[in-house]
Amino acid sequence: MTITPRQFEVHPSSGVPIYLQIVEQVNALIVGGHLQSGEMLPSVRQMATELGVNHMTISKAYSRLEASGVVERIRGKGMMLKESHVTGTLRHRQSELQPLLEQAVIRARQLGLDDQQILSVLKTVLREIQQ
Amino acid sequence: MTRPIIEIKNLSKRFDDNDVLGGVDLTIEQGQVVGLLGTNGSGKTTLIKCLLGLLKPTVGSCSIFGEDVWNLSADAKARLGYVSQEFAVLPWLKVQSATEYIGAFYENWDGKLVRRLLDEWDLDTKQRVGVLSVGQRQKLAVILAMGHRPELLILDEPVASLDPLARRQFLQSLIEFTEDEKHTILFSTHITSDLERIASHVAMLRDGQVGYWGEMDSLKNQVKRLRIQAQNPLPADLEIPGTMRCQIDREHALVTVAEMNDDLVSTISTQFDATVSVEDLNLEEIFLELSGVSSEYDEAGASR
Repeated sequence: MTITPRQFEVHPSSGVPIYLQIVEQVNALIVGGHLQSGEMLPSVRQMATELGVNHMTISKAYSRLEASGVVERIRGKGMMLKESHVTGTLRHRQSELQPLLEQAVIRARQLGLDDQQILSVLKTVLREIQQ
Repeated sequence: MTRPIIEIKNLSKRFDDNDVLGGVDLTIEQGQVVGLLGTNGSGKTTLIKCLLGLLKPTVGSCSIFGEDVWNLSADAKARLGYVSQEFAVLPWLKVQSATEYIGAFYENWDGKLVRRLLDEWDLDTKQRVGVLSVGQRQKLAVILAMGHRPELLILDEPVASLDPLARRQFLQSLIEFTEDEKHTILFSTHITSDLERIASHVAMLRDGQVGYWGEMDSLKNQVKRLRIQAQNPLPADLEIPGTMRCQIDREHALVTVAEMNDDLVSTISTQFDATVSVEDLNLEEIFLELSGVSSEYDEAGASR
């Protein structure tokens, strides 16, 4: 399976910088099992042309992914996905997750859902996105 | 350290009693794609004309490639491309002859690129320039400005009359143009979504000066709107550092801040016993907020 720019979707007029959108989408594709280690990301040029954004934006996204250890720069070939490995203590990783869940829970309360109902949705999501 | 391609120092321009520009400082480095934003009459065109040596500044100076623009050498001019708002290339010429005529002025004219762009942008080379529509003329002007692959391209509202398809083609060619990260572009526009796609930097003119200058990404990362919901009525003089615009309605407040950080949210929530949510703003919203206007629409659909 090769990765094409079509698997990405950028929204230039969102408040989130485009490079961050790409970083988040690469991470999401990995978590969702759509990208495996050893696969190459499309070239900067391909991404820029097909998504219609500045090259520097793509380079920046790729550099961020490289810095966070998600991809590895292979000379003359491009960006390759690395074997995933988690870093940080359990407590640290949990604290990263907390604010995201808080937002979801606040929304759930606004929707009038009780604890059981929220947990049931969470379980569905956990099932859909396997470890 | 790359040398600046454009250097504008303390530029002021007065027309009769009207100060259009009052002390503009701006330095643009090689490879930057700079979007120039500003409301109507904020001086974008005046800035560009002073920068090109087409208007004499009242005070201050501009240089391009390190040369003063009032005495720009032929060599520097050959490395420069410009599209003005009012484009008038000899109306009796056919498109083909017009490109040949302009091309003859440049040593390194890329006829192949010009032919390809004319074809891609759907311009009929047998048409006379005079009968082209405004949008078609604009396309031709952009192609003519890019034909010698200038190191610096300056465009004054190049897309105002282009349809969405032509705008997309135009952006694609700019993306190609800047691929090697050596070409520099400065362009003014009102269409913020185009800027968001291709600009690396943004300069916003406000009150005759550069009200904001910086990277597009930092702008979006830093300018945020905080929605504050407190337990008790908030003070009328809510002092939040970096406030650009603030709107307080008893326990409820909307504050746009210029420099967002995580501490800010926790400080506000403890200080006022409030829940704070952070909202991202796109370029158009940031532009409105910087101009002192609310970017939020109320339920009735009217801007507050």
